[in-house]
Amino acid sequence: MGLLSLLVFSPIVGFIILFFIPKHDMKMLHKIALAASFIPFLFGLLVFILFKTDEIPADILKWIEFEAGEKSFVIHYELAVDGFSTILIFLTAIIMSIAILAGSFHVKKDIRMFYQLMFLLELGVLGVFASGNLFLFFIFFEITLIPMFLLLSKWGGTDREESAFHYLVYNGIGSLILLVAIAAIFVSAGSTNFDTVMQHFATNENSGLALGIAIALLLAFGIKLPIFPLHSWMVKVHVDAPIPVVIVHAGVLLKIGAYGLITFGIGFFPVAFEKLVLVLAILGLVNLLYGAYLALVQKELRAVLAYSSISHMGIILLGIAALNESGIQGAIFQAVSHGLIAALFFLLVGSLANRTNTTSLKKLSGLARLTPLLAGFLLVAALAGLGLPGMSGFVSEFMVFLGLFEQLPWIGVIGTLGLVLTVVYMLRVVMNMTFGTYRNMFGEIKDLNVYEVVPTLVLIICIIGIGVFPNIIASTIQLTIETLRLGIGG
Amino acid sequence: MIDYAWLVPVIPFLSFFILILFRTKMQKTSGLVATIFSGLTLIYAIVIFGQLIKRQTYLAEWQWLTIGTVDISFGVLLNPLNGLMLLLVAFVSFLIHLYSIGYMDGDKRTSVFFAYLGLFTAAMLGLVMSPNLLQFYMFWELVGLGSFLLIGFYFYKNSAKKAAKKAFIMTRIGDMGLLIGLILLFWQTNSFRFADISEVILAGQMESGMITLIAILILIGAIGKSGQFPLHTWLPDAMEGPTPVSALIHAATMVAAGIYLIAVMYPLYMASNVALAIVASVGAFTALYAATIGLVQDDIKQVLAYSTISQLGYMLLAMGVLGYTAGIFHLFTHAFFKALLFLAAGAVIHAVHTQNIKQMGGLSKKMKVTSVTFLIGALAISGFPLLSGFFSKEEILAAVWANGQYGLFVIAILAAFLTSLYMFRLFFLVFEGESKKTIDKIQPTPITMKIPMIVLAFFAIFSGYLNTSWFETYLADWLASGATFLSTHHHETPLWLFFVTILLSVGGIVLAYFIYGKKRINQEDWKSSFPGVHTLLKNKYYIDEFYQLTFVKATNAIGTFFTYVEKYIIQLCMTFVKDVVQSLSKTGTKTQTGQTQTYGAVAFLGLVLIVAFYVLKGGY
Repeated sequence: MGLLSLLVFSPIVGFIILFFIPKHDMKMLHKIALAASFIPFLFGLLVFILFKTDEIPADILKWIEFEAGEKSFVIHYELAVDGFSTILIFLTAIIMSIAILAGSFHVKKDIRMFYQLMFLLELGVLGVFASGNLFLFFIFFEITLIPMFLLLSKWGGTDREESAFHYLVYNGIGSLILLVAIAAIFVSAGSTNFDTVMQHFATNENSGLALGIAIALLLAFGIKLPIFPLHSWMVKVHVDAPIPVVIVHAGVLLKIGAYGLITFGIGFFPVAFEKLVLVLAILGLVNLLYGAYLALVQKELRAVLAYSSISHMGIILLGIAALNESGIQGAIFQAVSHGLIAALFFLLVGSLANRTNTTSLKKLSGLARLTPLLAGFLLVAALAGLGLPGMSGFVSEFMVFLGLFEQLPWIGVIGTLGLVLTVVYMLRVVMNMTFGTYRNMFGEIKDLNVYEVVPTLVLIICIIGIGVFPNIIASTIQLTIETLRLGIGG
Repeated sequence: MIDYAWLVPVIPFLSFFILILFRTKMQKTSGLVATIFSGLTLIYAIVIFGQLIKRQTYLAEWQWLTIGTVDISFGVLLNPLNGLMLLLVAFVSFLIHLYSIGYMDGDKRTSVFFAYLGLFTAAMLGLVMSPNLLQFYMFWELVGLGSFLLIGFYFYKNSAKKAAKKAFIMTRIGDMGLLIGLILLFWQTNSFRFADISEVILAGQMESGMITLIAILILIGAIGKSGQFPLHTWLPDAMEGPTPVSALIHAATMVAAGIYLIAVMYPLYMASNVALAIVASVGAFTALYAATIGLVQDDIKQVLAYSTISQLGYMLLAMGVLGYTAGIFHLFTHAFFKALLFLAAGAVIHAVHTQNIKQMGGLSKKMKVTSVTFLIGALAISGFPLLSGFFSKEEILAAVWANGQYGLFVIAILAAFLTSLYMFRLFFLVFEGESKKTIDKIQPTPITMKIPMIVLAFFAIFSGYLNTSWFETYLADWLASGATFLSTHHHETPLWLFFVTILLSVGGIVLAYFIYGKKRINQEDWKSSFPGVHTLLKNKYYIDEFYQLTFVKATNAIGTFFTYVEKYIIQLCMTFVKDVVQSLSKTGTKTQTGQTQTYGAVAFLGLVLIVAFYVLKGGY
């Protein structure tokens, strides 16, 4: 087994060990689960370091072979990473550990099974990012759906079954479209290996088939991202899923959409995407503004964050629409940055909800008085969300807009309205909760404890680290950007 | 030493970091620690300035971000202009730190206060040392953060919360102008570096229409930050912050950053007469507009806030009429006398616990140092002969006159007259006349508060002599040595202008004396003769109300409209999709129903499709 296989399947360790822990020994379960979550993290770190030292890891193994007509099809089991996926893998590992730690505060029933499903989910996500061909990608993509569905329907909030069902329907349709697209690619290129597919379509780039597949990919990953008007399932998940699951969902799972659009969309069908530029830009703008305006009028904290995610995903679309180095690099940064910021927000929302038993904005006010740390961190999260310089969000937004202004300046001008609205809703939501007079509704609530502060700080350090030293990421994805740029034609 | 110039902003940042980390333990010592850090910053800034005098410029850069083939750098730039700013910021910041020890004494969150002060100082120093527009923008936002945090320092007050939020949003609107401007500029010049940008402009490689557009966009950023019309409404509200903050951020340093921005981008403005005309008009209009509001406000800090807006308008006017050195000179002197006025006002508030000037009076007998220093500040800002404001204001008027902008000249003169009128209205109402019964006890002013006031009073008197045509124009020569793009048309000040300046200043003071000091002229008279005007001014021309009714309402309406879209249209589609899938799954699994089965059905459907695909395609 190669390193990448070890990485992808390492969550199995936690999954299995947990079987041997008694179901009711909560403390032990928490500890073991957290410890086991560091295994993928260490592998992720190793892959990251190896990638940085130019030893690009890859696993290949002949897997399935079948004949159809005169042609024989071979599907390999192949894992490979590029700069973008290396970073996403690392992000997944960090956020998973944090989500599992958060699980110990938020999940009360059937904790063992909860953790086991989380590990399965992690396996799926790591596989998605480490796949070297579309077939494998699809399988792992499907693997993420099942544990996610179960986590949602069993541990979710009041509307959990409804939400889980919506999740399934939308994502099911998404994978259906994806499957068709992959099948079409396979049939046309004779392989689903990323490089082969890329080369194949580079020589047949003007075909109608390419445009058709590109649109299918846009739809399939558009549901995942999500793109307006396919977003409602995601709002439901944000509002109803248990906190650790939302952390993973907003932090990592949504990024599969961005990963797919960039790696497969622009990567395989640059010419087709060039034709879709205006559509993408308008969709991005709609996401950005629609999400921001709705975030502004929500009465429920988690709904604000859900619409804020939609708005921030609009920025990814705008970066893709720019279709130049700056725009794409910005989109990749935004995917990573939003993952960290969303995770930070929901981590804090979880701590808040544990203390106040509500996330209704009407009831929360003046929290800075009793819980200055929580209030301070919420403010940091808001500042990160509104793209304050020195934090990751600024770098990504800046690059996207820089790229956008070269190609579609008017879209960029309208887009800045979104940046202003982001400030308005971010400050509205956080300041209404933390500033103002404290209405003594929740009794003597305590400030964050050390188990809550540490993961929060980890995320904040990552966010500020990228904001201050963006070249850490930029140098990692340099080759990816270069390849994509060559495809676009420079 | 100059090679470690980047350490200058790091020192106050360390102060922030340490204080925020140990905020509970350092409650008592925080003021002292922060003041020491800020003293070190000042000493270091002085040392660097000393070295700068010999070498004129210093530049160091590090790679920050690579986008494709473009490298964006981070760095330190020192030249005559920002060397001066560096010194000014470090100096005022140190005095404010010292003053705050006394002012904030007894507050439960002093360590947080001083931490924020350090953060702001670090950002402001970073801003003035930026060698490129992107880095400038980043620190520009960070000083905004410092301002935001300190305005909202009394977080439990709803008014403070609103004011902080408003400040952030209003300046963000302006910042979008700056952001668009700098991005457009990048695609024109392929660089963010100030030096590269001016090179391209001076070489005439940019279309004039583009130059004007970018200049106006950048001006919007300056308008937001410097509280110019129509984005000024946040600045008076910002007085919700503790008074030392008003002195440092909302009078001496941050709000002047807008003027500084115009100065560093000056080649751009010089290349467009349209842009210059707009700069001058916005400045002149704001100078008069804010001065009229300042006449009728009853809150001591509000008067000073409108006065700041008005004076910033003056500086902007100077920049717009090619009075580059005059504008910077006024920025320089204004920093001293306005900080002084705020600190004196702070001492008054500290002593009597009210900000309403109608409840004050006769304080000069009880607060000697405060009343004398306030008087000095008031004289300086009014342009009283031989004090600093006299020289800088006179130079601005001269620049306006020399530029042939006679309309703007009249506006500027009117504003100058109103300035001395409202300042001395303030002085007479607060310090002269009868003591009011409402104030029974006066808290003494500690020495740490008095020293900064005395030091600033000294500078309010003498800083003008750095640049007079009577002795030597040190400041103008120093600035001109770093700004080679300036044509050296040194216009002689006509002698009659001195008399005009003196007349305006003294006239305003005398009028104020008769109305508010001697009470010879009944102050109620004009209220009753022009009731409409008085209400209009009292309500600040209803600009806030206008914004509330238009922009805020419209934004909320759009939000509500989208809620309906979400609720009915999107929801409807979702239900439809769900129903289709559900009915499909029911046909697929006939005997069984349930959600997991739906999933199976979808996957199955996919498989059917893929098989069908192969069959149709004939096996390849």
